[in-house]
Amino acid sequence: MPRVHLMSDHRRFTDGEAVVESEGATVGAVIADLEQRYPGLGEALTHGASAGVNGEIHAEPHYLEVDTDTDIYFVAPLTGG
Amino acid sequence: MTVAADPPAYKWVGTRPIRHDGYEKVIGKARFAADLDLPGQLHAAYLRSPHGHARIVSIDTTTAAGMPGVKAVVTGADFPDLDPTDPNFDVSVNVMARGTVLYNGHALAAVAATTRAEAAAAAAAIQVEYELLPVVLTLDESTADGAPLVNEHNVTKFVESDGPSNLATVNVLERGDVDAAFATADLVVEREFDTAHVHQGYIEPHACVVDVGPNGKADVWASSQGHFMVRSLTAATLGWEPSRIKVTPAEIGGGFGGKTTIYLEPVAARLSEMSGRPVKLVMTREEVLRATGPAPASKSRVKIAASNDGELTAIECWFGYSVGCTNDFAGLIGAMSVASYKFPNLKLEAVGMLTNTPKTAAYRAPSAPQAAFAIESVIDELAQSLDMDPIGLRLRNAVEEGDPTAMGMPHPRIGFIECLEALRDSDHYRSPVPDGAARGVGTGFWFNIGEQSSATVNLNEDGTATVITGSPDIGGSRASMALMAAEELGIDVYRITPTVADTESVGFTDVTEGSRATFSTGMAVVNACRDLIEELRARAATILGVEQDAVTWVDGAAVADGQDPLPLSAIAARAKSTGGPLTVTASLNAAGAGPSFAVHCCDLTVDEETGQVAILRYTAVQDAGTAIHPSYVEGQLQGGTVQGIGWALNEEYVFDDDGSLENASFLDYRIPVASDLPMIDTIIVEVPNPAHPYGVRGVGETGIVPPLATIANAVARATSTRMTSLPMSPPKILAALDTP
Repeated sequence: MPRVHLMSDHRRFTDGEAVVESEGATVGAVIADLEQRYPGLGEALTHGASAGVNGEIHAEPHYLEVDTDTDIYFVAPLTGG
Repeated sequence: MTVAADPPAYKWVGTRPIRHDGYEKVIGKARFAADLDLPGQLHAAYLRSPHGHARIVSIDTTTAAGMPGVKAVVTGADFPDLDPTDPNFDVSVNVMARGTVLYNGHALAAVAATTRAEAAAAAAAIQVEYELLPVVLTLDESTADGAPLVNEHNVTKFVESDGPSNLATVNVLERGDVDAAFATADLVVEREFDTAHVHQGYIEPHACVVDVGPNGKADVWASSQGHFMVRSLTAATLGWEPSRIKVTPAEIGGGFGGKTTIYLEPVAARLSEMSGRPVKLVMTREEVLRATGPAPASKSRVKIAASNDGELTAIECWFGYSVGCTNDFAGLIGAMSVASYKFPNLKLEAVGMLTNTPKTAAYRAPSAPQAAFAIESVIDELAQSLDMDPIGLRLRNAVEEGDPTAMGMPHPRIGFIECLEALRDSDHYRSPVPDGAARGVGTGFWFNIGEQSSATVNLNEDGTATVITGSPDIGGSRASMALMAAEELGIDVYRITPTVADTESVGFTDVTEGSRATFSTGMAVVNACRDLIEELRARAATILGVEQDAVTWVDGAAVADGQDPLPLSAIAARAKSTGGPLTVTASLNAAGAGPSFAVHCCDLTVDEETGQVAILRYTAVQDAGTAIHPSYVEGQLQGGTVQGIGWALNEEYVFDDDGSLENASFLDYRIPVASDLPMIDTIIVEVPNPAHPYGVRGVGETGIVPPLATIANAVARATSTRMTSLPMSPPKILAALDTP
């Protein structure tokens, strides 16, 4: 199952767990699964985070495909100058 | 100088042609936004708040509206009120105050008149009654118990919030057990640092001309880092659909992140709509400094542990940024990620706090220079305490491919070690430190960003090509696009005309930020060229009477066995008879922007009688992946370095108690000029980014990250005094030297 790495603030939804496993073939599906298990977490990830997947940061990762070995790192949105 | 392990053999990529837009810029023919004048055009001027924080009790524009030449007057009441949860709310409020002025210089009315003088006179005649509110100017004031609320609409991002506060954002990154690591460490260094607000200092003030026609459609000519961004933010502020607006990009006289947002365009549009005339709005330098985005001021605490043999074992940091009066400064993860060493234990916290100061904006690698100043200063102090070479300590701990970033995600292929080695082996570092001088070293990191880009390539009937993109040419990107197209198509770079098209003539392209133009837009150009080559092969197959699979593309010509090569120009000349115009478009949402590292070295002297710092020699090393046009890569490295030197030594916003900026001119806001500095030497390291067809990594931002600490580290070695407050201006250095 994809492994989801959470920022510190998002761990309030998971009883402090920094890494949780989830199900889904896309980042959006993973978020939906997490929302089912940890109410509120899906909303926080949808509107307040970018996702680092396979070494790349994605600002809108909803339809990004993941597999069972994927690590997903949710981080605060990133911008540049 | 370029360092590359095994450089590929390109014909055009990596060469240094004269830029395609150079002639127009040299002779003054290039058109910047303030150069444009339309028939019947009006000129506009603002009324800005003289107070740092106040409720607007009333605005009376009656007198102003009746003054000579005045054709239209706008206030906040002439713009829709967006919901505070709208992502464009903060931009909208900053464009024109609604109900409350949040900083000294906040726009609260504007006038369009026949002349600028008439507009300014009428703006000054607008009567405003204010109810003064407490002014919060510093991070400490903002965080104090019982601090006045800076902005009643602010709700903290990224953490649970129970109502408005001055806390804008909180980001925390953790791994390992820092407490245990510090408890058992051989050596721990802990310091506090602070930096001032600084401005991007672009030479060209913000400017636009807007003409709203009788059909309600608006033509906008503006200077920006992204005209599609101008379209979307202007539309949001006006409550319009974006398709009502066409934005034509003017040439840009510098942005550095400060032109990734808007200030003028909705105001000029509303004035034009009300008056039925085109409206020109140009900021003065004073307005630029008072009312456009400086970089945040900061405070930080950094604590790093090391073993006696130089292994960095733990880092704990708190970074506080004063983000100005609104809360749309992005997450501060980038700042924390300058901690680019193999720390097994890490705890980083960054917070953004609101103050009654101008809304901040990005400045190259936003928020990273302040963090790198603190971290790299402590790293240098550790090297001194351990009696280690500062590059040696960094090499001992530098991250490489597969090591975790501060956020935990593994680094892709990166060139940090290659940059450190390049400086270590450079003539500068191998030369003795001049008598009476001292040497400092510092490093920097930036993620870089991909995002959306589009490109169209038109092959003309004479065999030349036009490359059309939607990224304004800020740092020589026309030349870079042309070079990549020349490499792909196999034609001379001067037979390619790179252009930047308006929002109705090219596909959507995101704002130029995150050092993305050469990476992302360049990738769109490469993709378009490759699609064009496929079409050229098909046309050649028709001409030659062979199957397309039998045709290959070699050095600008179609080649099939047993036949003479068919050059691109010959295929172009027969476009009509083989299927029509040869034109292709490619669009993408690019991923894989390769992170970039930089390592800097500086030799300087400190005059202990005057406090003056003189920089004798400076070398900037940076991984560019592949330098498409090395001259413009060098220019980016030099520009970032010089801006970082200004940040380190001279530049700071000086506010009075009511938040009025006391040094709102380039006479008093002291940016470095050529006579202040030696030539900035550069070394381009090329560790290709595997996610780009030519290995490009963005180079525009990382160069500003290392100079603050690089200079502070040299000053520390020159004076045996660790400077922890920027700028290291002569009075501060004298005060530090006088402190026992």
